Amino acid sequence: MNVASCMKHHVVSIPASTTIREAAALFVKKHIGLLPVVDKNDKPIGAIGIHDLLKLEMPDFVNFVMDVDFVHDFGAVEDTRPPAATLNKTVRSLMRPIITVDEDCGLLRAYSLMLQQNLHDIPVVSKDGKLIGIASRVDIGVTILKAWEKAE
Amino acid sequence: MEMVSIVLAFVIFFGSLILIFWEKINRSIVAISGAVLMIGMGKVLGFYNEELAIEAIDFNTLGLLLGMMMLVAMLEPTGFFEYLAVLAARSSKGKPIRLFILLGIITTILSMFLDNVTTVVLIAPVTILISEILGISPLPYLMSEALLSNVGGVATLVGDPPNVLIGSAAGLSFNDFLLYSLPIVLVSWAGALLTLRILFKKDLSKRPRRTKAVMKLNPAETLNHPQTARQILIVLGMAILFFFIHHALHVEPSLIALGAAAVSLLWIQPDLQEVLKRVEWSVLIFFGALFIMVGGLEHSGALRKIVNLFDTVTGMDPVLFGVLVIWIVAIFSAVVDNVPITIALIPVIQGLGESGMDIAPLWWALAFGAGFGGTGTIIGSSANIIVATLSEKTRMPITSGIWIKRGLPVMIVTCTIASILYALAFPLF
Repeated sequence: MNVASCMKHHVVSIPASTTIREAAALFVKKHIGLLPVVDKNDKPIGAIGIHDLLKLEMPDFVNFVMDVDFVHDFGAVEDTRPPAATLNKTVRSLMRPIITVDEDCGLLRAYSLMLQQNLHDIPVVSKDGKLIGIASRVDIGVTILKAWEKAE
Repeated sequence: MEMVSIVLAFVIFFGSLILIFWEKINRSIVAISGAVLMIGMGKVLGFYNEELAIEAIDFNTLGLLLGMMMLVAMLEPTGFFEYLAVLAARSSKGKPIRLFILLGIITTILSMFLDNVTTVVLIAPVTILISEILGISPLPYLMSEALLSNVGGVATLVGDPPNVLIGSAAGLSFNDFLLYSLPIVLVSWAGALLTLRILFKKDLSKRPRRTKAVMKLNPAETLNHPQTARQILIVLGMAILFFFIHHALHVEPSLIALGAAAVSLLWIQPDLQEVLKRVEWSVLIFFGALFIMVGGLEHSGALRKIVNLFDTVTGMDPVLFGVLVIWIVAIFSAVVDNVPITIALIPVIQGLGESGMDIAPLWWALAFGAGFGGTGTIIGSSANIIVATLSEKTRMPITSGIWIKRGLPVMIVTCTIASILYALAFPLF
């Protein structure tokens, strides 16, 4: 079994010129967690995850205070929004290197890669490097478990 | 031959100092290399050797620092520091000026007995938390914490490393510091607080958006190990009591600090590896290596030559000379680390004493200059560097420009107050 057998073929992707505001709207509209950033030839050049956007609103103290359990109310932070200047920037400033797998990549290999790199979705590329699909942990996980039905 | 030794010792010592101030190579690595070179050259030329080097190390200073570091290392994970900061936030009811004063007082008191860096490292994250949930800028609080911990540390024998060094070299007791340094520091501290209050007027007059959130913080929940915190605080309290009478008991402060560390270790029996990991060994090594280098400088005869350079000052008005020492040491401490400055100046002052000068007041001038000078610039003290580094990971990084606008006035105000009081109190020293 390879990753192509369980991936979603319809991938929502964006060019690097998309603004952060537009990307955020797309996350909302499509209800997804990862947006691959592609060039003109549909080749992935980076990725932006929902977490990368949420980080813009996260308070600084969560990076310093080990255990935020005693903070019962985040107060002013709860309704802080990123400034317009940030939202109007392109995703190029925020995107990170993309980790992809080839379409014939094995399921366990793909799953391990996601665990180690802490990814929830992994984009799949064809032999010539074009983005052709995307698979989530659940997509891959249930496909692996399906094989258990045939187990003795 | 003697001239060669003097020149060589001089070159090794000042070469190392320049490299330390350069900050391209870790200061402890420079110090170790310099110390080894000094002993090696000393052996070749016959002015220094291993035994003399060991003798040159002030183990009293190292023991005091190590003991206090181990106590703090055990107190750190209990959440006690966070507890105090949260308590301050609640008592302030979210009012900026009250919060500013309360956090300032807590940092000052802690830094009078504990290491400034530890105090700031532990209070600053909670400060960022408090200001974020209030919806106000953390800048005035963070900077004041660093600046006031520098100022407060000057008040006691154990408050900051230059004081430990001076106390040990000059044989000054814990009470001597309370008697001669604390009153002057109190006035200077009030001056510093007022200066900061004026400089941050705009930030502090902004109304917090959400004061209620602060009231929902529960200090008790920040204490991860209340029992351990209580035990260490009891031991620390006992240690401070013993500091008051160490002179009468003829006991060195280092024995008290190491004793307190030993009692805590026995009582709590923590994971020793974890405790030792939190001890700043590189600082202790840095001190040890500097002592060895200064020892070499002394035995080569180079120090004598430096002291002779000061011959002209013996005729100078002693009050004016002391005030000059405050300012010169302060200016140096503002741009470079005050520890090597203090370690290098101690034998110079001792030398001046041998040539007949009354040096008792000069020790205080050195302490004030080294302590208050550190507030001037972002690199003036370790506490400043820590706060600045921490702020770089937030949305409001503190740049050296921002620092100098507030830090330099604080340095000038505190040094001016110290100079005036020094001159007034001169007959008492």
